[in-house]
Amino acid sequence: MTHSSVMRVPGLVRGAWATLLGIAVSAALTVAIRAAYGYDPLFDGEAITIVSLVTAPLFFLVGIGAFSEWFYWAGGKPTRPEDHSSHGAHSWKDYFKVNTDHKVIGIQYVVTSFFFMLVGGLLAMMVRAELAAPGSQFVDSNAYNGLFSVHASLMIFLFIIPVFAGLANYVLPLMIGAPDMAFPRLNALSFWMLPVAGTMMTLSFFAPGGSFATGWTAYAPLSTEVPLGQMFFTVGVQFAGASSIATALNFLVTIITMRAPGMSFWRMPLLVWANFSTSLLVVIATPFIAASQFFVLLDYGLGFNFFVPEDSGDVLMYQHVFWFYSHPAVYIMMLPGFGIVSEILAVKARKPVFGYRMMAFSLLAIVLLGFTVWAHHMFVSGMQSWIRVPMMVTTAIIAVPTGIKIFSWLATLWRGVLNVDTPMLWALGFLTMFTLGGISGVMLAMIPLTIHVSDTYFIVAHIHYVLFGGSLFTIFAGVYYWFPKMTGRMFDQTLGKVHFWLTFVAFNATFAPMHLIGVQGMPRRVADYPEQFATWNLVISLASFVLGLSTLIFVYNMVASWRGGPRAGSNPWRALTLEWQVSSPPPIFNFDAVPTVVGGPYEYGVPGAVHGVFKPAGHPAEAEPAPQEGRARQPAGAVAAGSTDREQ
Amino acid sequence: MASAAAVEHHHGPPPANRSSRVEPQLLGMLLFIISEIMVFGAFFTAYFFIRVVNGAEWPAQGTELPKLIAGVNTAILLSSSVTVHWALESAKKGNRFGLQAGITTTLLLGATFLFIQVNEYVHIGFAPQDHAQGSIFYGLTGLHGAHVFIGLTLLAFTTLRAFRGHFTPEEHRGVEVPGIYWHFVDVMWVIVYTTIYII
Repeated sequence: MTHSSVMRVPGLVRGAWATLLGIAVSAALTVAIRAAYGYDPLFDGEAITIVSLVTAPLFFLVGIGAFSEWFYWAGGKPTRPEDHSSHGAHSWKDYFKVNTDHKVIGIQYVVTSFFFMLVGGLLAMMVRAELAAPGSQFVDSNAYNGLFSVHASLMIFLFIIPVFAGLANYVLPLMIGAPDMAFPRLNALSFWMLPVAGTMMTLSFFAPGGSFATGWTAYAPLSTEVPLGQMFFTVGVQFAGASSIATALNFLVTIITMRAPGMSFWRMPLLVWANFSTSLLVVIATPFIAASQFFVLLDYGLGFNFFVPEDSGDVLMYQHVFWFYSHPAVYIMMLPGFGIVSEILAVKARKPVFGYRMMAFSLLAIVLLGFTVWAHHMFVSGMQSWIRVPMMVTTAIIAVPTGIKIFSWLATLWRGVLNVDTPMLWALGFLTMFTLGGISGVMLAMIPLTIHVSDTYFIVAHIHYVLFGGSLFTIFAGVYYWFPKMTGRMFDQTLGKVHFWLTFVAFNATFAPMHLIGVQGMPRRVADYPEQFATWNLVISLASFVLGLSTLIFVYNMVASWRGGPRAGSNPWRALTLEWQVSSPPPIFNFDAVPTVVGGPYEYGVPGAVHGVFKPAGHPAEAEPAPQEGRARQPAGAVAAGSTDREQ
Repeated sequence: MASAAAVEHHHGPPPANRSSRVEPQLLGMLLFIISEIMVFGAFFTAYFFIRVVNGAEWPAQGTELPKLIAGVNTAILLSSSVTVHWALESAKKGNRFGLQAGITTTLLLGATFLFIQVNEYVHIGFAPQDHAQGSIFYGLTGLHGAHVFIGLTLLAFTTLRAFRGHFTPEEHRGVEVPGIYWHFVDVMWVIVYTTIYII
């Protein structure tokens, strides 16, 4: 490829110079507007940066080719059917291009999110290094505030939310028997907004005045009066949020319109149900954080008065709008994990999921109740006190559907023959740790306790028990579980178990003591603390370093196994769901012909039960979709035992 | 890769099973509109807190909102909903003139609305920097204006395609989907107009 064509072909090179062009255009635009209004000075670096943050990513997205097809359509040219030339990945380089294949996008999502997880983890290590002893160690208090703010923002917006979207992107279409997502180009666009958001948040450290340092909550009016770094959060969240909404919309349309024949809602695997519920939450709630950051952007950049009390603005309004998204967001970060765990527990216990319908209904109940509890984050904010008790009650009620799930999982395990391998260990770890986090959550719903422990390490302990012990454990479980499907290779089980036990012990050593010092009053989000907490903090810091190191085992295991692990069969876990009935990795269009679903997804150990039937390999795709006689119609035991290694 | 063999005798995926009577594009647009409604909902929350909870004077002291001009503007925007419906019905019947005339009229009406809106900003006599009421006013009407602009962009693509001979009685989603968005923009304006100007 010649030098000039590299510049013109859609890709990272064109994306790079398009970004620079975007910055130049933003600068010109800003100067022109300032000239028109007669502002002084004409050349204002801060204004140019803010405009660039909004504009340059759009240029980047055009540059890498995320909009090429849409431009083609907008130009009024005849519609051309998707030629699928951008499907599949044939070398590692294809993962750095715009790709419309849901399997490629899924891997792009997962790898990108784990990259930002490592960045966020590194920041956490720096936080713990600073807190290892009272007084100031490495960083001043403002830099410290920046460390935990960027840590939280990356972990939430660039890791937990997108990694679930990535896993589901890969397996969900396979699970429902669809050849791809409903809108493959939108899917690609959603992915490419993520690195934009993540890079922006990470780059905030280079902004004058340091990174954004207002926590991931970015409460106004603090966030409207701090140095420029704040804008990297405010605008970055917009891109992460837009990505999240677009993916959720895509999931919903895919699930509703593209299920295989026979795949009724009550035959969908619970992972699909979980992502259906999550997507509903995202579509309805995420616009609120977008709006809250629009307010901050307008107040900060253009001098609006949303949060200026002297000019009739309302500071508490920010918290209401923010938490109306961010409380449902904790379910956005948890429900997909519930789905993953349901899959794994059923397969590894060789038993049907107990109370399948209640599991699905409780997901929907959480979606509904999730919108009624936001103000429990604001018990000490000074809001109208009459809101507090209703919010306490609804918060306690939301533990009911969650409890239904916990007990159903336990009943699923009951008298099962447990195969405790790596994914199962993580799922069981989730079950125990998330229950602890859930219990401290119910405690925090109680107003008196919240008032006592507000802004202490008790909150930090709770959030990490549900997000690390809860969400991250399910993410590890899911990654290990679907790794053979995604890569066609088997990971090292021993290393996986070492990873689990090291993480499990270090996790508890890190976060359990935080409950204690939190109740005693150690404040969160402060770089220094009284002498009395010194011992516990040293213990916590040491444990957290072990926790950090344990992640390296995971990274090594994944990289080494992907490169040279033993070949995994199509169905190493002997699972019934459809994604395991095709080769590993699946063929480029998932199925030769869309399968037919004839039974529930979790009928393990049920004699004669079949989930999906396939037509014989090589059968023409245009044949009628009814179940055919032949090789595909195996006795149920054969499918369940995984002996039919379907070659595509 | 294991899929290499599959590529050779496949030129595309097997057609997906249609598990719902709803068109994917239509459903996608409806879900997008739901999230758009929530964006407006957040702005209305801000309005609610500033005007109702805090009881700020509305409109701010010494300012006046041009109800009449905005009312005329409302009529203009609402009539554009009728014309876009006319365009869609014409497309369904294969009436090319009706399609082209309907979509062009819609485009012009929408542009007129936007022009009058900007003109109103110029003459209204207060700025968003003056007080929170101004922030809300510009925030909500500006957010709506941005949506009008998005809608106009979509309609511009449709217009271009309508004049290039696209859209048939069988295939007219390119008129229908932007049309639904346009109806949403219109209905949203009625709500914005009622809460901001009338009440």
